Amino acid sequence: MSDRIIIQQVLDGDVEAFSRLVDRHYARCARIAVRIVGNREDAEEAIQDAFLRAFKALGDYEDRERFSAWLTRILVNQCRTVLARTKRRDAMFAELDPRRLEFTAAAELDEGGWAELEHVLERLPAEQREAIVLKYADDLTYEEMSRITGAGESALKMRVQRAFARLRAMLQEVPSV
Amino acid sequence: MSDWFERRVARALRADVSLCGDERARRSVMERVRVAAAEGHPVRRRAEPWRLSRSSIVGLSLAAGIGGISTLSVVAPEARPGASALSSVVIGDTVVSTLRDTLRLVRLMFDAPDARRVAVAGDFNRWDSDATPLAHEEGSRRWSVTLALRDGEHRYAFVVDGTRWVPDPRAARSARAENGRIYSLLTVSRATN
Repeated sequence: MSDRIIIQQVLDGDVEAFSRLVDRHYARCARIAVRIVGNREDAEEAIQDAFLRAFKALGDYEDRERFSAWLTRILVNQCRTVLARTKRRDAMFAELDPRRLEFTAAAELDEGGWAELEHVLERLPAEQREAIVLKYADDLTYEEMSRITGAGESALKMRVQRAFARLRAMLQEVPSV
Repeated sequence: MSDWFERRVARALRADVSLCGDERARRSVMERVRVAAAEGHPVRRRAEPWRLSRSSIVGLSLAAGIGGISTLSVVAPEARPGASALSSVVIGDTVVSTLRDTLRLVRLMFDAPDARRVAVAGDFNRWDSDATPLAHEEGSRRWSVTLALRDGEHRYAFVVDGTRWVPDPRAARSARAENGRIYSLLTVSRATN
C-alpha cells in the first residue's frame, strides 16, 4: 500500500493507519537523526516530534512531493531545534556527556557501521554534517536536499565535498589508488 | 563516488542505527498522535464541520456535570471504511458529537483553594507540566480538566503552581517512580463507564 493511500485513510479519520507510516519510515528517520544530532536520546525526541508534526500537518501535504522527503524536511527542522537546545545545554555542562559515550559504545557494535566515523561526524560543522547525512543516509538528490534544507544545490555540493575533506583529514585516511 | 574512502563513508552512513527501545518509541509516537487526533488534528485545508475543536469537546463534557474521575463517553468503537468521522453519544440530556475512535473523555478534578495554577502531567502529554492546565471553577476550590484518552493505563500527577507535584487524591491507585515522585494510575476502559 502506497504512502499516499495511507495518508488518505488517516485524513478520512483512521488515526491508527498513521502507525503504518511510522513503521515504514522510523528506521530511515533514525539513521538521519542520530547522525545529525549525535546521540540517540535527542534523536528519539526529534523523531517523535517530527512524526507528531507530520501528523498534525498531514492536511497540508501535497503529493507532488514524496512523503519521505516531506517527512525528512520536518525531521531536519526538529533536529536543528534539538541541536540548538543541546548546544545551550552543553555550554552549561561542559563535562563529557555520558550519553555520548553510550552512543559511541553502541555504535561500535553496529554491524556495517564505522565507530570512528560516527565519532568524528559530530565534529563537522552542522551544515556539512547535515548535508552529508542527507546525501548518503537518505539517498536524496541535491534537488530534494535543496527543498529540505533551503540551501542551493551548488552550496550543498560544496558542503558535501568539504565534509569529505574534513572527515578524511580527521580520520587520517590515506587516499586510495 | 570517486574512491574507496567515499564509498566507505557512504556505506557507514546508510547502515541502520538501532535506537534503544524502538518499539516503545513507536508506541509513544502513536500515543501522542492519538492525543493530537482528539484535539482535531490533522486539519484539512477544506473546512470539515464534523471535526471538533478540543474546546467544544471539553465544553460539552463539562455541561454534562459528571464529577470525580469519570469517563463521559464511549466513542464509536468501530471504524468503518468510508464512514463519516462523526458519531454521537448521549450523556444525560446532552448529545455529544465525537471523533470516530476509541477515545474516552475523562474528567479530572483537584481541590486546591490557594493555588494560582494547576496542571496535569502524565504519559499522555509526555509529562509536560505546562501542556494541560486545569480550569479553576469560579467560586469554588475546585480545578478540573477533561481529557480524551485511549483505553489503557495512564500515569499522571497534578502540578501545583508549576513546582509542586501532587498525586491525585481521588485516584484508586498510585505508584512511586524511580525518582521518588509518586504518581497516580488511571485505567481507562469500557468498564469504567
